Amino acid sequence: MTKFVLKRLGVGLIQIVSLMVLVFFLIRLLPADPVARFVGLNASAEAYAQAEIALGLDKPVLEQFKIYLLGDEQTDGLIHGSLGNSWISGSPVLYHIGLTLPATLELILLSFLISVSLAIPIGVAGATSPNGAVNKGTLIYGLFAGSQPEFSWGTIFIFLFFVVLGVAPGPLGRISPLTEPPDPVSGMIVVDSLIAGRADLLLESLWYLSLPVLTLSFVLTGPIIKMVRENVSQSMSLGFIQYGEAVGLSKKMLASDSLLAAVAPTLTLIGILFSFMLGGAVLIESMFSINGLGQFSLQSVLAMDYPAIQGVVIVISSLTLLVYLLLDVAQALLDPRLRA
Amino acid sequence: MNRAMTAEGSSRDPTTLTRMEAVAIVLTAVPILCAIFAPVIATFDPLAVSDAVSQPPPTLRELPSLIWGVLFEQMPAPHWFGSDSSGMDVFSRTLYAARVDLVIAFSANILSFIVGVTLGVVCGFRSNLATEFIARIADLVQSFPVFITAMILVALAGRTWGNIIFAMSLLYAPIYLRLTRTEALKVKARGFIEASTAMGNRPIRILYLHILPNSLGPALIQFSVTIGFAILLTAGLSFVGAGVNPPTPEWGAMIAQGSTQLVLGDWWVSIFPGIAISLTVFGFALAGYALERRFET
Amino acid sequence: MKIIPAESPAPPGTQALSARAWSALLLAFLLSGCHAPEQSADTDSAVIYLVEDVPAGLNYDGPAASLHTSQVGIVNLMDPLLEYAASPEVENGVQTSDFSSFEGSLAENWVYDPAEQSWRIDLRKGVYSCAGNELTADDVLYTFARAKSVSGAAPVGWFLASVASVASFDTSVFDNPAKRRLGDEISKLGRYSVKVFQSAPNPLFPHILTSFALRVFDSQEMRKHATESDPWSHQYVDEQTSPGFGPYCTERWIKGDEFVLTANPYREERAPSIKRIVFKRVPLSSNRFVIMKMGEADLSDRLTPREFEALAGLDNLKVIGLTGNETLFLHMNFKSPPFDNPLIRRAVSAAVPYDWIINNGYRAQAKQWLSVVPTRYPGVSENFQPPPGGLEAARQLLSQAGYPNGKGLEEFQENFQLSYVAEKQIALGPIANAIRAKLREVGIPVELNPIPLTQFGDRTLVKRDLPFALSDQEKPVVVDAGYAIQLFFASPSAGGVNNMTNYHNDSVDALWASARTTANPSARAEFIARALDQIAADIAWLPLAEFKTQWATHTELYGFRWYPDNSIRFSDLYRKEH
Repeated sequence: MTKFVLKRLGVGLIQIVSLMVLVFFLIRLLPADPVARFVGLNASAEAYAQAEIALGLDKPVLEQFKIYLLGDEQTDGLIHGSLGNSWISGSPVLYHIGLTLPATLELILLSFLISVSLAIPIGVAGATSPNGAVNKGTLIYGLFAGSQPEFSWGTIFIFLFFVVLGVAPGPLGRISPLTEPPDPVSGMIVVDSLIAGRADLLLESLWYLSLPVLTLSFVLTGPIIKMVRENVSQSMSLGFIQYGEAVGLSKKMLASDSLLAAVAPTLTLIGILFSFMLGGAVLIESMFSINGLGQFSLQSVLAMDYPAIQGVVIVISSLTLLVYLLLDVAQALLDPRLRA
Repeated sequence: MNRAMTAEGSSRDPTTLTRMEAVAIVLTAVPILCAIFAPVIATFDPLAVSDAVSQPPPTLRELPSLIWGVLFEQMPAPHWFGSDSSGMDVFSRTLYAARVDLVIAFSANILSFIVGVTLGVVCGFRSNLATEFIARIADLVQSFPVFITAMILVALAGRTWGNIIFAMSLLYAPIYLRLTRTEALKVKARGFIEASTAMGNRPIRILYLHILPNSLGPALIQFSVTIGFAILLTAGLSFVGAGVNPPTPEWGAMIAQGSTQLVLGDWWVSIFPGIAISLTVFGFALAGYALERRFET
Repeated sequence: MKIIPAESPAPPGTQALSARAWSALLLAFLLSGCHAPEQSADTDSAVIYLVEDVPAGLNYDGPAASLHTSQVGIVNLMDPLLEYAASPEVENGVQTSDFSSFEGSLAENWVYDPAEQSWRIDLRKGVYSCAGNELTADDVLYTFARAKSVSGAAPVGWFLASVASVASFDTSVFDNPAKRRLGDEISKLGRYSVKVFQSAPNPLFPHILTSFALRVFDSQEMRKHATESDPWSHQYVDEQTSPGFGPYCTERWIKGDEFVLTANPYREERAPSIKRIVFKRVPLSSNRFVIMKMGEADLSDRLTPREFEALAGLDNLKVIGLTGNETLFLHMNFKSPPFDNPLIRRAVSAAVPYDWIINNGYRAQAKQWLSVVPTRYPGVSENFQPPPGGLEAARQLLSQAGYPNGKGLEEFQENFQLSYVAEKQIALGPIANAIRAKLREVGIPVELNPIPLTQFGDRTLVKRDLPFALSDQEKPVVVDAGYAIQLFFASPSAGGVNNMTNYHNDSVDALWASARTTANPSARAEFIARALDQIAADIAWLPLAEFKTQWATHTELYGFRWYPDNSIRFSDLYRKEH
């Protein structure tokens, strides 16, 4: 087992390194010049050259890469654990990621928590129910919810629950702007208020997150329900269940057995959805004014903030690879045959 | 047979359609037909700007007399779905948008299907340094954040259809590659390839005759599902301003524009394209599911 | 159930698990209908300001300086030496300024000596920074020295000083590091006074002192945060705060999310009435609109004309604003054929749907722009008229140019890509679309080409190769028509800075040169007026509309004043029951 994990880790590391190289050079192939926005008022040749020097873009690309990796007298490189400074704000890219990643994680973790805890019973019910309507209903819901543009529903929910009914908070982010957020430990307000022992902040942040989480959960439950439902019915058609039925095991036990068999593919799906959402939550984030990683990447892309774009892609991809690694390990634990 | 499958009627005559299949066919055919016949059905030039900005659609009560008038009294067509803030006709734009979204989704999928399946079959069939390398690259690309990568490519390289299609193909090809490779490995393991080789068949012929057709199944099912993803992605990109160029009618762009007006009470600008996209993507998901069922039985 | 705005008895945090909070928890998971917790606003002082973005940086020589959102932060943390004098006139809830006279902000006296070409500036005494340091001449010296060091990513301070002919602030600083040190062009006369020498008589000097740049730093605080690799503390200003002698201090700054200012505790004279301002980033204008509508914030801007219109009629809200210096124009590049042909320029100007733009694009919250410089600026008259006759006139002009019904223009299809900033799709999209439709009607093959702001800036300001564009973001921050000419219309060889349409007219260059060197104000005004007439006649820019700079705000807030950078000074505001 250790050998398996080590091997996977090794591959993952090589992948991340190649990723860094790839992103660094690909981004510089694109037909765009980031220097202009810095000169603003004064676009004289001198000011342009000055900005170019300040950004380090006057050096040849290979030299730039060397500095990005190893740093120089003034700046730290990747090997010092630095992703460089954002060109828009001048702050370290890691500062921005440290601010925005927890916000996104908080949003999507809560949404997954809710989606999974709803989707599993619904999916199992769909697969085991003798009632055709329930069976079909879960299938249709699963397919339908999974096909929805979340940005469309986000606006509808804001309009309906905040403006018309007045039962939900406004799209003001993760907490009221007047509230002092708890001391950042994890950066996730929900977790930090627990750490600080502030039930009021916990409730307030859950309140503010309710609509974005609802929107995201609505979309996420679709594929998960579908996956659970399919795998449970598949495993129920396998021999051991029929055997179990024959020897008179209760329906409840049968369902839990089939659920176990459905765990591995469902986990894989959740892993894939999760890594997609790390960047894909951008639509929900802008809709609900949440300052998440997706927002930060959108801004960086539009401003051609190279260090920020590189940083975001590297962080999300590394997290994705990490999630896949964990999935592989989990599956290897479930099924020893996979430990090749 | 488990109950779930019987409930869907899997033990059926393969030439008849289940109800689900019929619905799937309708839901996918309608947007395709709309796309093809948009110029015939549309009542306005989808790009025509007018002074009639932000007009609501006719109410249900007005509808019968309006339909009567248009059909029999040569009245000019009203804005059936209302008009947007440029005075453009939402109905005609929703129709024409089917063209844009479907063409992008299909082109991107066909391209990535061809690339992914070809590489996948080869990678499954032959195992050497080169194919291993290709598989690793595919893994790498799959770890890219889909949405952000598409955004980078489109926003910085230019908002053309070509770039959107290219970006999506790049992101989707690894999915097909993986699926096909796994299948090809299974086919290869069945052993009749060895038999075929022993009979003196050339590898390329084996690849073409045996492995390819036997490895296509999952990729074909995936195709239908990924069409839906591609439509959602195109729309999402437009929503953040990295999609097709305005004023090209496109569902995501229309929703983006309309969602800003929803809160002002102009619900029609975003709701109609929203319904169109919901049903279309749902249709393709359903079709994927129905295909999967068919392949299984 | 409606939300009752802001009358909570206790600030958030003091309430334990009330029934309201429990229901919130329930809703968080189920979204079953229940009570919304009312906003607990500290109505006495805090103002919630919904913004497109919070400052990305606060360094006026730094990378974020050109962003409006950063400038709002800078002007509230740092005071300038001078301000434009307040005008008694109040227009639609906003006080205007008198751009021909000045009032002291950090300066108490300022005297020009024509013989020496120098300005003596005496500072106010007893002005303290957020760190409690007193303002002295050293702070002014430090500020100019930092500007001259051109050590930031965008040397805006140096640029403005050079525009105002401050001695030895010229381009030699870029070639020769030794020239980046402050010499005796600015010298200390005493603890509270300095003298600034100019290299030529230039009336722009007091004007540039009012802008967001060259505001005075607290030099002690700045030096405290200097490092060997960053002697001018750019990192500190970009990340923590910009220490100056302004009315507010940074309480909390979470980039991309929130920015909180509190009143400077050391400020006794001219202390602000509003003690705390919370800037909250809400990127979508429709969200800013609904939050304002539901009464959960006090102030917002950058809304669409329709959103302003909808808010104006609501209880507890008012929409204020005026036509300041925000304009919309078509950019046609003289280096991109066929825009070098005056007949084509005139044809475009005849075909553009001005009325549609004003009435539908801006919902009448704009007026047609009949000049090439904001008409509010002194000495600017309405000297532009598009050819009468609309589309018919456009067709005739096209035939005259040899392109009847646009035949032959397909050759230039690339150059008829109408670019605009993609981030402004909601505001500019419909207008660009209407222009496209009308121009196509007469046969000009226009397509739309929204591009990201950064790319737009690169191609207009640096490469100057954008053939055709719709722009609403150029405003001369110094309120002077001469400055506008130098910025946009003079040839680079004649000292032009951002001549993005590659406009060149010898007589304009000559008039500008004369205006620059004359010491006689009325002669200068005359030269400038003649230059502007020529620029308008050549359609160097095709002016379309001057639109209002507006704010939606709670009816209790008063004291708004318009500044040419379009940023609110919160120290102007106060609350009053209406």
